[in-house]
Formats: sequence, structure tokens, C-alpha cells
Amino acid sequence: MRKKKKITGALITLLAVVLLFITFYPFCMLLFGSLKNKMQLVDNPWFFTMPMYFHNYEVAASQIMRPIFNSFVVTGVGIVLTVLFSALAAYAIAHSDVPGKKIFYFYIISLLMVPGFVILIPQFLVVRDMHLYNTYLGQILPPTANNVAMGVMLMTTFFKAIPGSVIESAQVEGCGPVQMFSRIIMPLSKPIMATVSITTGLNLWNNYMWPLIITNGKDVMPVIVSITRLTASISEGNGPLFAAYVIAAIPILILFAFASKQFISGLTAGAVKG
Amino acid sequence: MQRQIAKQPKGAAGGGNKKSLGSRIMKNKIFYLFLLPAVLVITIFKYYPFLTSVYQSVFNWNGANVHIFNGAKNYIDIFQDKAFYSSIYNIVKVCLATVVINLIFPFLAAEIVTNLNGKRKQNFFKMGFIIPMVVPSMVVILLWKWILAGDYGVLNMLLGAVGLDNLITPWLATSRTALWSIIAINFPWIAGLPFLLYLTGKQNISEDLYEAADLEGAGLLQKIRYIDIPLLSSQRKLVITYMLIQAFQMFDQPFVLTSGGPGTSTLTPALYIYQRAFNYNQFGYSSAVGVILFIIVVGVTLFNQRIMKESDNMG
Repeated sequence: MRKKKKITGALITLLAVVLLFITFYPFCMLLFGSLKNKMQLVDNPWFFTMPMYFHNYEVAASQIMRPIFNSFVVTGVGIVLTVLFSALAAYAIAHSDVPGKKIFYFYIISLLMVPGFVILIPQFLVVRDMHLYNTYLGQILPPTANNVAMGVMLMTTFFKAIPGSVIESAQVEGCGPVQMFSRIIMPLSKPIMATVSITTGLNLWNNYMWPLIITNGKDVMPVIVSITRLTASISEGNGPLFAAYVIAAIPILILFAFASKQFISGLTAGAVKG
Repeated sequence: MQRQIAKQPKGAAGGGNKKSLGSRIMKNKIFYLFLLPAVLVITIFKYYPFLTSVYQSVFNWNGANVHIFNGAKNYIDIFQDKAFYSSIYNIVKVCLATVVINLIFPFLAAEIVTNLNGKRKQNFFKMGFIIPMVVPSMVVILLWKWILAGDYGVLNMLLGAVGLDNLITPWLATSRTALWSIIAINFPWIAGLPFLLYLTGKQNISEDLYEAADLEGAGLLQKIRYIDIPLLSSQRKLVITYMLIQAFQMFDQPFVLTSGGPGTSTLTPALYIYQRAFNYNQFGYSSAVGVILFIIVVGVTLFNQRIMKESDNMG
């Protein structure tokens, strides 16, 4: 019996190792490849080889520096707007007796299930007619509408769980709606704000279709679009491309390293909305 | 003490309800200001485009100077366009394959990881499968573009190296293999949300159940069959719904890897809308495709919810 258990245990470990290897190895190849010159890539795409060509990263950085900056602007501003708009609306819905708040809630969340591409064309035309084509705002606002809908949904649930007594005792002490929001609700809501920020941030950083149609040229184009436009040079091969892919992934990986717990709840929250 | 304080304003608020609607609106006007930004962005960037797309769908419109009412002609044309049908056919295949894959592989991986002995070992593998999830999906797609490439593609080089030269194919440029190659991206399909959902679901199952099963002499497979599979049914439903929504919107992969080709073998509805608008300047036609797809999405969603409810009643 015990022996059988040992064999099962070893078998499970073996399976886990094999699966993890297959999952991870392509990424390792990308990392190795980003340090190879053209000949090394053709001769041996599989393993790490010497010498390392850090020059690839210089080439890549010079091409995607601006797009990386653009992605930071779009993602950063988008997160701030989404969290602020969602929290304000969710607070009004959860802790006020505004007439019609249920209608507002329904209005805000009900188009959530319509996939973005269905209204892609008219959305593009609206943004174009507002003279926001090829601007940061044009990239930020339409996805923000989506993210706010989800943010309102998540935050309303969270705010409703804040005990009424907390709110009421603050009211007794003379706290108006604005102070209530900034001094009581927001500080109590750090976990949900982290979740919404992460979901929103991942959406914005990874978004491809929207910036693809709404940007043109390098001025405001985000990194995810620009890495698809890179072409291998004849002398250097794919190495610099791979370096650019690695660079595009690094900011999120770094954030994940610092806040993996919040990331996991942010990722899961994104699924539950559906 | 706190409770006493709490009671007072509640009474006051109750009194407020008796006041006229007008005075309640006045008293709460600041809250309308709170609701305004959210309502505004959603109106401008969701409702308004949504309504215009219904309106524009009955026009022959190039997005600029040509704008002629043509009734149901766009709709009739769409239903006579073979490309539209193949985009639907392709997306049905993609949806089914994605759902089946995500019901099996991430579930097995979650079982394997949670059955490893030792917490540290479990956490190591958990993190190992979660980290690739935060790599931007476009980076994954471009990585697989290299793997699946015809010349100097990693997969073809691997096949050559192990002597299976006759299997070497330009995977993305052959109409027979292109769609399946796109589906194969991210093989073995573990590093995704479903894995996370199964994992959290399994962690919520009470340890007592497994202990009871141990006492009864149940093996690992029996525990999976009689404890995990029934108890993870809500996770499975979530996975099905989420993957259907995701798969239905597929755009990035065919756009970047194949442009919908060869022929229309990897054309998806989202890509079809894009191409009609931006390659052919048929904005009215494209809006009409959007309307049709919206109806399909609503239909599938309602159908899906119904099935989910019914299986709730049965289970």
C-alpha cells in the first residue's frame, strides 16, 4: 500500500515536471533567442548559446522606447480614470438613496456582455469625429467605458459590504458625501481598487484591436501594436525582434513579482464578470 | 454605543423617504454628479455607437462621402457572402475546441498540482503555471509565429531533427492546418484563467471529504471522479461561459498570423468586420455584420444561461 502511494506520488511529480517544462520552454527559447545573432538562431534555436548578443536589446530598445512610454501613459491614465469613475458611481449606488440608482446601475452594466468588436466600427467613427484619432485619449476612453462597467459592478458589491454603521457614524460626525468618499470609503477599499486597477491595467496594456485601428505612426502607438510591426533586418535576423517581445512583457512581470496575490484576484475577477 | 449612534441617522433617512421625489433628488444632487462620469463615458462610447451601428447598417456608406439608404440590402448581401459563412463556421470550430480544451487540460493540471505532496512543491508548480499567464497575449502569439513558421520554424526544425521530415508543413500557410495551428497556440493550454479557477475551486473543497474518502479506501482517481468533478461544476460553468466569450471574439491571432487566410480558412467574424470596414471601406455593411453578430451573441448567451440553470436544477 505504502509502496503504491510512493509510486503514484513520483508519477504525479513527473507529470507536473513534464507539463511545466512544455509550458515554460517556449518562453525560455524566446529569452535565449533574444540574445542570439542570425547564425546562432538558424543553427540552434533550442538552447542557450555563447556568445550573447546584448546588442539585440539596444536595437530593440531604440525601436520601441517611444511605444513603451506610450503604453505607460495609456495604462496609467486609464487606470486612474477607471478607478475614480467606478468608485464614484459605485459609492452613489451602494450608499445613497438617490432616486433611480437601480436604473443607473442597470444602465451602466447592461452592455457588458456585448463583445467589443460588434461596435468596433461606430466606436471608431465616434472617436474620429471627436478628433481623437491618433491621440492618447482616443485610445483610453472607449476601453475605459468597458472597464468602468466592470469596475462599477465589482465595487458596488464591495461597497455594499461596508457596514452601514461605519457610514452612519461618520455622518453623525458631520461627514458630507465628498469627505465620506475620500476619507472613509476610499481608504477602506484598497483591496478592490487593487483588483480593478490590475484588471484594467492588464486590459489596457494587452489591448491590440483598439489601438490598432485608432493609432497611426509612432507618436502614440502602444508597444503591443508596435511589436507586431517590427521586421527582421537582413543582417541581424530575428534576435532584436525577440528582444523587443521580451521588453514588452517585462513591465507586467515586474509588477506581478511585487503583487502576485492582487494579480491573481484581479485575473479571476475578470472572468467572473462574464 | 456604536449601535446607538447608528440608529439615529437611519431613522432620519427613513423620514427622508417620505418626502417628495423632488426634494429627494435635490437632497441627493451631489450623487448625480458622482454618477455622471461613468454614465457619460458609457453613453458616448457604448450606447451611442451601439445605436449608430443599427442605424448605419441600412446604408451604403464608405465612412466618408457616400451615404445612401439601401434598406435591407446589406443584410441580404451578408447572407449571400460565402466569406461570412466561413467566418461563422471557423468560429464555431474555435469555440468548441477552446471549450473542450479548457475543460480538460487546466483541470488535469490543477489536479496534478494539488495532489503533489508538500506545500512548497505545490506552490512552486502553481507559480510556474501562473507566471506565463501574465505574459502579454500578443507576445505569446508572436512567439508561436516563430514556432509555427514554415522556414526556420521551431516545430519544423524539431520534426526534421527527429527524422519526421514528411510531416514538415508551413503550418500557418496551409488551409488544412492553419486554423488548428492557431488553436494549438499556448499548448498545453494550462497557463490560463481556467487553471486558476479550478485551483481556487479545489482549495475550497473541505479536507474532511478527502479524509472520509481515504477511510473508505478510495484511490486518487475515485476521489477525482466522486468528489472533485461534481463539486467543481460551478467552476466548469464559469470556464465554459468565459471561454465561449473569449473565443468568439478571436481577432488578434488570425490578424497577425494569417490575415484570415489561406483563402478564408482562418477568417473570424471580428476579422471579417475589420476587413470589410478598413480594407473595403464598407462601413454600412460592416455595421450590419455587427448587428447580426450582436443578435447571435445575445442568443447564445441566453441559451447558455438557460442550459446552465437547467443543469443546476438537475444537479
